[in-house]
Amino acid sequence: MTTTQSENAQYALSISSARKSFGTVQVLKGVDLGIEPGERIALMGPSGSGKSTLLNCISGIEKLDSGTITLHGQVISDLDGGGLEKLRRESIGYVFQSFHLLPTLTAFENIELPAQLINMPKDERREKVYHMLKSVGLSHRSDHKPDALSGGERQRVAIGRALIHSPGLVLADEPTGSLDTQSGEDVLALLEKLSVDQGVALLMVTHDRSSARICNRVISIQDGLLI
Amino acid sequence: MLYLRLAALILVRTTVRHWREKIGSYLLLLAIVAVGVGAFNGIRQASRSASANFGLFNQAISGQSDFLIESPTKTLSADVLYSLGPLSGDPDWHLVPVIEGSITSLDGDGEPQQQLRLVGLDLMGLANLPNLSEAKFDFGEDELTWYDWLGSENSVWIGRKTAEKLGFDEGEAIKFIASGRMREMVVRKIIGVESSSFPDDLVIADLPTAQLLLSRPNELSRIEVIIDRPELRENVDYLETIKSRIARYLPENLAVQPTQNRAADRAAITAAFRLNLTILSLIAILVGAYLILQALDAAVVRRRSEVATLISLGVSRGVLFLTFLLESAVIGSIGSVIGIGVGWLFAYLSAQMLADTVNALYFATTIEAISLTWMDCVFGLCLGFSFTLLAGWLPARDAMQTPPAQVLSRGDWSPGFSWLRNRWIGTVLLVLGSLLLLLPPFPLEAGGKMAVGGFLAAGCWILGAALLSGHLLVGLAGLLRSFSSSPTSRLACSRLHDGSSRHRLAVAGLVVAVGMVTGMFQMVDSFRGTIEQWFNVRFQAELYISERGVTGAGTINGIDPSVMSELVQDETIAYADIVYVSYANPPEGITVLSGVDMEAWSTTIRQLWLKPPGSLEPVEGSEPALISETFARRFGLLEGGSIELETTTGKKSVSPIGIYSDYGNEFGTAAVDISTWKEWTQSERPINVSLYLNEGSDINGVRDRLRLSYPGLDVRNAAELRGVALDIFEQTFKATSALNGIGLVVAFAGLLLGLLAIFDESSRTWLTLRHLGFSKNQFLLSAGLEGAGIGLGAWISGSLVGLALGWLLIFVINVQSFGWTLRWQVPMADFLTFGSLLVIAGFLSGLLAATYWSHKNK
Repeated sequence: MTTTQSENAQYALSISSARKSFGTVQVLKGVDLGIEPGERIALMGPSGSGKSTLLNCISGIEKLDSGTITLHGQVISDLDGGGLEKLRRESIGYVFQSFHLLPTLTAFENIELPAQLINMPKDERREKVYHMLKSVGLSHRSDHKPDALSGGERQRVAIGRALIHSPGLVLADEPTGSLDTQSGEDVLALLEKLSVDQGVALLMVTHDRSSARICNRVISIQDGLLI
Repeated sequence: MLYLRLAALILVRTTVRHWREKIGSYLLLLAIVAVGVGAFNGIRQASRSASANFGLFNQAISGQSDFLIESPTKTLSADVLYSLGPLSGDPDWHLVPVIEGSITSLDGDGEPQQQLRLVGLDLMGLANLPNLSEAKFDFGEDELTWYDWLGSENSVWIGRKTAEKLGFDEGEAIKFIASGRMREMVVRKIIGVESSSFPDDLVIADLPTAQLLLSRPNELSRIEVIIDRPELRENVDYLETIKSRIARYLPENLAVQPTQNRAADRAAITAAFRLNLTILSLIAILVGAYLILQALDAAVVRRRSEVATLISLGVSRGVLFLTFLLESAVIGSIGSVIGIGVGWLFAYLSAQMLADTVNALYFATTIEAISLTWMDCVFGLCLGFSFTLLAGWLPARDAMQTPPAQVLSRGDWSPGFSWLRNRWIGTVLLVLGSLLLLLPPFPLEAGGKMAVGGFLAAGCWILGAALLSGHLLVGLAGLLRSFSSSPTSRLACSRLHDGSSRHRLAVAGLVVAVGMVTGMFQMVDSFRGTIEQWFNVRFQAELYISERGVTGAGTINGIDPSVMSELVQDETIAYADIVYVSYANPPEGITVLSGVDMEAWSTTIRQLWLKPPGSLEPVEGSEPALISETFARRFGLLEGGSIELETTTGKKSVSPIGIYSDYGNEFGTAAVDISTWKEWTQSERPINVSLYLNEGSDINGVRDRLRLSYPGLDVRNAAELRGVALDIFEQTFKATSALNGIGLVVAFAGLLLGLLAIFDESSRTWLTLRHLGFSKNQFLLSAGLEGAGIGLGAWISGSLVGLALGWLLIFVINVQSFGWTLRWQVPMADFLTFGSLLVIAGFLSGLLAATYWSHKNK
């Protein structure tokens, strides 16, 4: 699938002929992809197929060798370091397999952090955090630090953190990979609900075919190419 | 502004909470900064307190005097007052003649108790001074009894602290010795009740009384000038006019100078000593900064995943850099503030030690109250803050470079400091250090010299060796690996051979401390060896006699000439080598002019000759002199020539005929014949005498008899004199050893922190090994071996640079700073012991760090 310039505008995310190598190893060999606002896509593939690299390129952490990635009409490769940081702060939410919550912050503060980074007014910010905590079902755990939370609870905090600043796109890298079945189910349900409620596009990397059921579309990647 | 706001947010939300969770580590870090700043500030304050006490009487009693009239030898005849007739009646100033000398109070058993300064002044004249009433000292119970002491031959006034210390009350008699005689003085009144400015060691008497008690009749030390209008003290033009009016009436051999110059002179005399201490205390801060670098680096390693998460959330790398820098700034600021207090404590504890050293080497002194000035605070704060910031720079940069993708997916990542792998930086520093040796020494105020090139070279060599030590560690580990068979030792060697930048940093920090300590080993040993050799050659007499109770190479009080002439009549004496000493002024600074029996010194008295008598041709018209090596180097007379010295009777030229080694003072000595010395200085007072007894005499018997006959004199045999001199020698290196100790302790703490960071960073490796069946004991052993390997690497690199430093200290720094040559000795046994201790300490550090890591990662 190839996206054209005119088509880019209608996508939350569009990727065109993305190539990326590490040394002599070609990890992405010309990926094309378009995700519409509110669309949820599952990206599946074996280890080493380039899933995480693609996610890192989308968030601007890794740079493409060639090709373009356009996020909300903004070409990522045109952005400098500051621009990429701003993009990550404002337009992307990230959910990691290992949660990566900040250990010194409480659940409330972890969720609040991205809103602080974009300088959201205090009253609005706190109200949104309370609301988000309620949405992820952790109002009663707001003062707990990550090490006092279960794995499922930590991932729910991470989802809250990814969505608090209303980004256009959430990138989720194996969000249920470190959870037991029940917690995984809860997290998936939450991701689906919030992305529907907020109209946020979701690109979820997963190994688990059953997790893909919350998505509108399933895409496979193998040897650096979408199939 | 946004950067700062975000940095502050992260600092408050994350960093401060990390501190709370690891409060012990951060308190330790604050303590390190505090100790570093404290060592630097403490040494400054203590040496100031120990050496700045020159105690002009009127500082304590009548306020500040404005000018001093002195002769170059610091003694003048009271007859000079007659020639100052035109000055004494001038209404614009008051002349206060002063005599000052050292006396030693005796305890109940007749043993020396405390060295005091007896200052004699014209109290009648002083009572009329307007300033005296401002100072609120009263010399009597009331106005009527004030003059009761007139006519008394031994009434003195002492300060309250001295009275309490010695346990004397008003009216009681104090036994003391001065100029080789035992005498008594009566405490007329204890003064200074309300004031703490009265120096601890000051005893005041009327001028004739003091002259009598000191056995120095008709002698003055100086004349102090106090202007009549104290309100004009700040008026430079007025003071300059007064000075030139006074100078107009002075005889040729007297000079008038502002009082502050005297303090500056004293400070200048000890400048080299204080500078050396300051440099050593700076090393303590440097090692402290290294430790902070290690600790902050360890913090970055621990928080790597957090940093990666923040970057993935859109926090800019600049903000993270700023956050870590702010963290070090906060640590630096708090630590420095604490350091100011610690410095005061160090100063308080070490002032006596430094005062003893100053006493032994330069001049009689006591400790002034430790003062903390605004400059001390500002200096300490700036120093601590800037060093901490500097130390925080690299870890902050490291944090900034964290690649989030790699860290978040793999968990560990170590970029390291690439410059540590670069051989060129270290090599260039070694070469640069060698080139800096070509720099000439920098002249100091009192005439001493500062070996600038030597100190800079030492810095470059230490740093260069530290940077190259990582390469040596890698090579050493590779060599040891080929001999390792067990999995633990192979693992340890392979990890060291891998040469991560943290291993290199750990070994580099230790190399600095090891180099410093082994360099000092050699200097102290070489110094001791040389002095012992000097003693063996120089001190061939049976008995040595000097003024009792007065310590200090620079204390020139002298023995009453009548006591000396009576003493040398003793029938057991075959020959008495009497030595006379006074100060003299060369074109710059101060030096020592000595009067000796030139004939005996040139023929029979043994010396460690650099150039034997007669090997140098004296310049015509100059007085032939035997000069010390220090004197020769200081004034460029190694190949002969002449120099003018200002004495009581005017400028005199001396020219060397021989040069001898002398480790007695760093200002140099020129020895002329006794008759010339007496003529030039107008003095008859000898400083000491060496007695050669008739063959077959019972040396200790004669010693004991002379001690009984002359209780005011110290009579020692050669062994006893050697003991006293070596005690003084050990005293001078006490402060140095203490600073070395601090450096070493801090370096080991650095190794411990470094190993913790290394193990933290290798978590995945250890966890994998655990899964592979590596037992906890095997892990601990391997960690211990890793630590021991770092210790061994540091010892080898540190010893190599230490050898170079030893050479530098002995052949460059000592020669340039003090003008004496030492015999280089390398204490092999100390080197080996130190190496073994280092390896053991490294092993224990590895064990400790690994135990802590295991406990944390259960």
